[in-house]
Amino acid sequence: MSDPKIDGFELKPGFKGMASDTGSDQTMFKGVHWGKAMMWIFLLSDTFVFSCFLISYMKGRASTPVDWPIPSEVFALHVGGVPVPLLLIAIMTFVLITSSGTMALAVKYGYEKNKKMCGWLVLATAIGGLTFVGMQVFEWSKLIHEGVRPWGNPFGAAQFGSFFFMITGFHGFHVSIGVIFLFIYAYKIFAGHYDGEGKRGWFTTMRSDYVEIEILGLYWHFVDLVWVFIFAFFYLW
Amino acid sequence: MSDDYNDNKIIQAQSSEVMGGSAGVNPDMDYVRPSELPEQDLYHGHTFLTKWVFCQDAKVIGVQYFLTAVFTGVVGLILSWLMRLQLGFPGLAGFMTAEHYYQFVTMHGMIMVVYFLTALFLGGFGNYLIPLMVGARDMVFPYVNMLSFWMFFVAVAVLMASFFVPGGPTGSGWTLYPPQAILEGTPGSGAGILLMLISLSLFVIGFTMGGLNYLITILQARTRGMTLMRMPLTIWGIFTATVLAMLAFPALLVSSIMMTLDKVLGTSFFMPTILKAGEVLEYGGGSPILFQHLFWFFGHPEVYIVALPAFGIVSDLISVHARKNIFGYRMMVWAIVGIGALSFFVWAHHMYVSGMNPWFGFFFASTTLIIAVPTAMKVYNWILTLWRGNIRINTVMLWCLGFIVTFVNGGITGIFLGNVTVDVPLSDTYFVVAHFHMVMGIAPLMVIMGAVYHWFPLVSGRLLSEKLGKWHFWLTFLGAYSIYFPMHYLGFIGVPRRYFEMYDSPYMTSAVGMNEFISLAAFIVGAAQFILIFNVIKTLKNGKKAGKNPWQANSLEWHTSTVPPEHGNFGDRLPVVHRWAYDYSVPGAKEDYIPQTTPPSEVAHTEVEKT
Amino acid sequence: MIVGLVFLAVIVGSVLFHIFTPWYWTDIASNWGAMDDTITLTFWVGGGVFVAVCLFMCYCIFKFSYKEGRKAEYKPEDKKLEKILTWATTLGVAALLAPGLIIWNQYVNVPKNAIHIDVMAWQWGWQYRLPGKDGKLGTTKVVNINDENPFGINLDDPYGKDDILVQSDVINLQNNKPVKILLRSVDVLHNWYVPQFRSKMDAVPGTVTFYWFEPNKVGEYEVLCAEYCGVGHYAMRGGVIVQDDQDYSNWESEQETFQEYIAKQNLLNEEKKLAKK
Repeated sequence: MSDPKIDGFELKPGFKGMASDTGSDQTMFKGVHWGKAMMWIFLLSDTFVFSCFLISYMKGRASTPVDWPIPSEVFALHVGGVPVPLLLIAIMTFVLITSSGTMALAVKYGYEKNKKMCGWLVLATAIGGLTFVGMQVFEWSKLIHEGVRPWGNPFGAAQFGSFFFMITGFHGFHVSIGVIFLFIYAYKIFAGHYDGEGKRGWFTTMRSDYVEIEILGLYWHFVDLVWVFIFAFFYLW
Repeated sequence: MSDDYNDNKIIQAQSSEVMGGSAGVNPDMDYVRPSELPEQDLYHGHTFLTKWVFCQDAKVIGVQYFLTAVFTGVVGLILSWLMRLQLGFPGLAGFMTAEHYYQFVTMHGMIMVVYFLTALFLGGFGNYLIPLMVGARDMVFPYVNMLSFWMFFVAVAVLMASFFVPGGPTGSGWTLYPPQAILEGTPGSGAGILLMLISLSLFVIGFTMGGLNYLITILQARTRGMTLMRMPLTIWGIFTATVLAMLAFPALLVSSIMMTLDKVLGTSFFMPTILKAGEVLEYGGGSPILFQHLFWFFGHPEVYIVALPAFGIVSDLISVHARKNIFGYRMMVWAIVGIGALSFFVWAHHMYVSGMNPWFGFFFASTTLIIAVPTAMKVYNWILTLWRGNIRINTVMLWCLGFIVTFVNGGITGIFLGNVTVDVPLSDTYFVVAHFHMVMGIAPLMVIMGAVYHWFPLVSGRLLSEKLGKWHFWLTFLGAYSIYFPMHYLGFIGVPRRYFEMYDSPYMTSAVGMNEFISLAAFIVGAAQFILIFNVIKTLKNGKKAGKNPWQANSLEWHTSTVPPEHGNFGDRLPVVHRWAYDYSVPGAKEDYIPQTTPPSEVAHTEVEKT
Repeated sequence: MIVGLVFLAVIVGSVLFHIFTPWYWTDIASNWGAMDDTITLTFWVGGGVFVAVCLFMCYCIFKFSYKEGRKAEYKPEDKKLEKILTWATTLGVAALLAPGLIIWNQYVNVPKNAIHIDVMAWQWGWQYRLPGKDGKLGTTKVVNINDENPFGINLDDPYGKDDILVQSDVINLQNNKPVKILLRSVDVLHNWYVPQFRSKMDAVPGTVTFYWFEPNKVGEYEVLCAEYCGVGHYAMRGGVIVQDDQDYSNWESEQETFQEYIAKQNLLNEEKKLAKK
């Protein structure tokens, strides 16, 4: 999207222009919806949460006295008796990234006020997320079946299970929350909350607006991005 | 609300007298850009429940936060009395065992730092003052704001519940260091520590909701003409502290989650192989130091989360009551931002003797002492604001002066502890206890009290009694100073912290008299706080009516349509800001203050500087 | 006026308290006199700033208290003054930091000739181990600890056999001989701290931490635990006896090595078995 035109406000060039732009009255980010700004800052905070988890994981993995299990063996899927490393995880990643694509399209159609397309695409994203969570449940149960527990496992350092379940669990929790909201918003779209001026919410006077789909999209893309890091740190390291 | 608010007319000088009489006036000088944002729709509560309990008005939420935090503060105060009773007069309280003592130490620390000071400054003052001072009708997400308070309320309830569970609250020290915190044998290592961790996590979640509100309100909902460099320093302090909180609390959340898992599921994130009572426990391979890094990555910014709002508020109070502009406003802003940024690079100065790689000491000592520079600049600017001012020596100013003394004292001892070599003999002794109580206990408390006396007329419409206020101040200031100043010398002797009893070593025995004195002073200072509660009750009943703007202040909160301000803050029309908040004693002006809303054409004949 | 006087009294009182205080550090008994010097330096620089700032504040109270009709000065900024103050503060801070870092460098670099002492901590007590004739400590593991092996020494480590075991919370040290304290803990955090030596470090379970000092005064000192370690924290004491070379070697020769300890235990066990029969 191009920069929205702000009445009475001219961008000046150079560093000085940046400073006066940033420090100007009313808003720092011109034309940015409150909710969108809030989501960005929340995501920044959430980035720190995941960073703390991943840095703890690195520190934990680097300093265990017992050897770390070999990920390509632990995470391998047996297809017809042949172990294929990273198969399941590749499918999971593919599904999640695809759902990011449908989400982006939903945002586009939302701004075009194309209720039907937007609704179906949000629903598709939700189903993608649900598939991801389902496959994660499958992977967890497979590992648990093989004897991996948060407090120990037969392959090596006990911390492997601890970090794996905690971090993928925390990410899975994020995805699940996202899926719930995607379903809620799909319902809201089809129920016509975004038609016309927008319906007022419960116990608040704010009106619904298609920008909410973009805000939800920001969250969803963030969850995808985090997954890429988790994927790299757990499965490729 | 109606469309009147969307009146985007460019505001021109309205007083024709000034227009005609002054040479330097041109029609453009009062120009302020039209409004970018539509008028905010507010949810007005009508029932008792929506008006006072689940209220979406930031001012009510602020008061709710304030009162809840004060309640926890009183609990913390009582705990400190019990601790001082044991330290000054061991054996006098028959029920006091070592277990109890350590539980009180832990709860006192956690309550005061997180549930009292943080909640009071950001939740209390933040909610009340942000929308008023930036000229907004309310926080940008009132509903989320309401949830934030109730989440905090639940967190407090969970914390208080830990006093009543079997085993009592956790007694692992407020830093909750593992393996101690979750090992059997530590007081409250069962339900107590779990409730503490759950409560902290709830606090973080609740605070995140509030913090997003504060940030977006300050960034995206200021009124017309309110540029960043016209914001009162109170807002700068609260803003920067909230940024710190948003980035530091994640580390606390993560460490809480990991420790909960260690406790409940038997994972070994922080737990190495442990031999306890002749048996090797199931744990193994974890790192206790990792927890300390996570904790202090939160813990050090936390210090500034408390200190920065105090810095901001005290700047405003000093400026108003010295009738003088704050000296070096830009420097003050950059110092706040700089301190905030640096505070993320100093955490391991709490860990010089923790057994981390000692080479870290060089880096963290350097960064820590660098922070001393912007902090010192702030102190200079406060006292230079007093210089050639016209200082009203009222209760508010007394608290500010008390703040300067205690803060400089505590800041200087911070240089001892931040400088890695000097820290070695002093760390883990009473010197540390004295230092942090002086700098982040007493000093911010002075600001809180000053702020209460300053803004109480705004909240209630009545002025607190000056006479009681002065008693309150002198007892608190002199008492607190005589608690913590001598306490440094216990640290010089070498008395370690967190000792339940200390009278069996020769050099500790020498301090019996001092400990008794400190305890007596602590009882008096604690009791003196009830003067404030009495003062508030008395004033609410029959205090002097404050009227509008009793302190002749410039900032927007004193220029609302009604006092106390109603929901929506500014009546029909949002204020338009033309200057910073510090135009006091401008040469040539009729009054000794020019409110932020005064257009330049009205004061064109004065020597006011453009801001 | 009175307000200014009270604040002035607080400042003067603080200075007088410092001059006449009966409570100050214990006589130093190690090489870390430099630490005391840095404290003194920081004290005078910092204390000077504290007094100067507070006196300035008192002066302002005397001079600029509210008078009806008087107007305060209007001067938003003074770039020059701010610059001078910034640089002066920076210089002062650097002057405090530099000696701190130099001495820290000495603190983290242990002299080559230092005797290694293994300090083992638990809730709530201490015991010590010296390297013996070969000058090297044997490696240890928490899981090895039992009645026959109270220090958890790895039995297959040849360096461990001649280690001298001191199963007491009092340790003897040789005067004027640097020691490297190697700390380990089997349960929670502890800290082996002798105020007269000025130095300290936490003992962390799962790892070995260290610091060093050189005792330089013959005498007996009390060891305190300086890191909270549970309800017995305040009572977790130990002792250090600093001795001259002769006394020390007498003491050292009386101590039992790990090998001797094992032999003694085996003997005891056999006696027990015999008695049972």
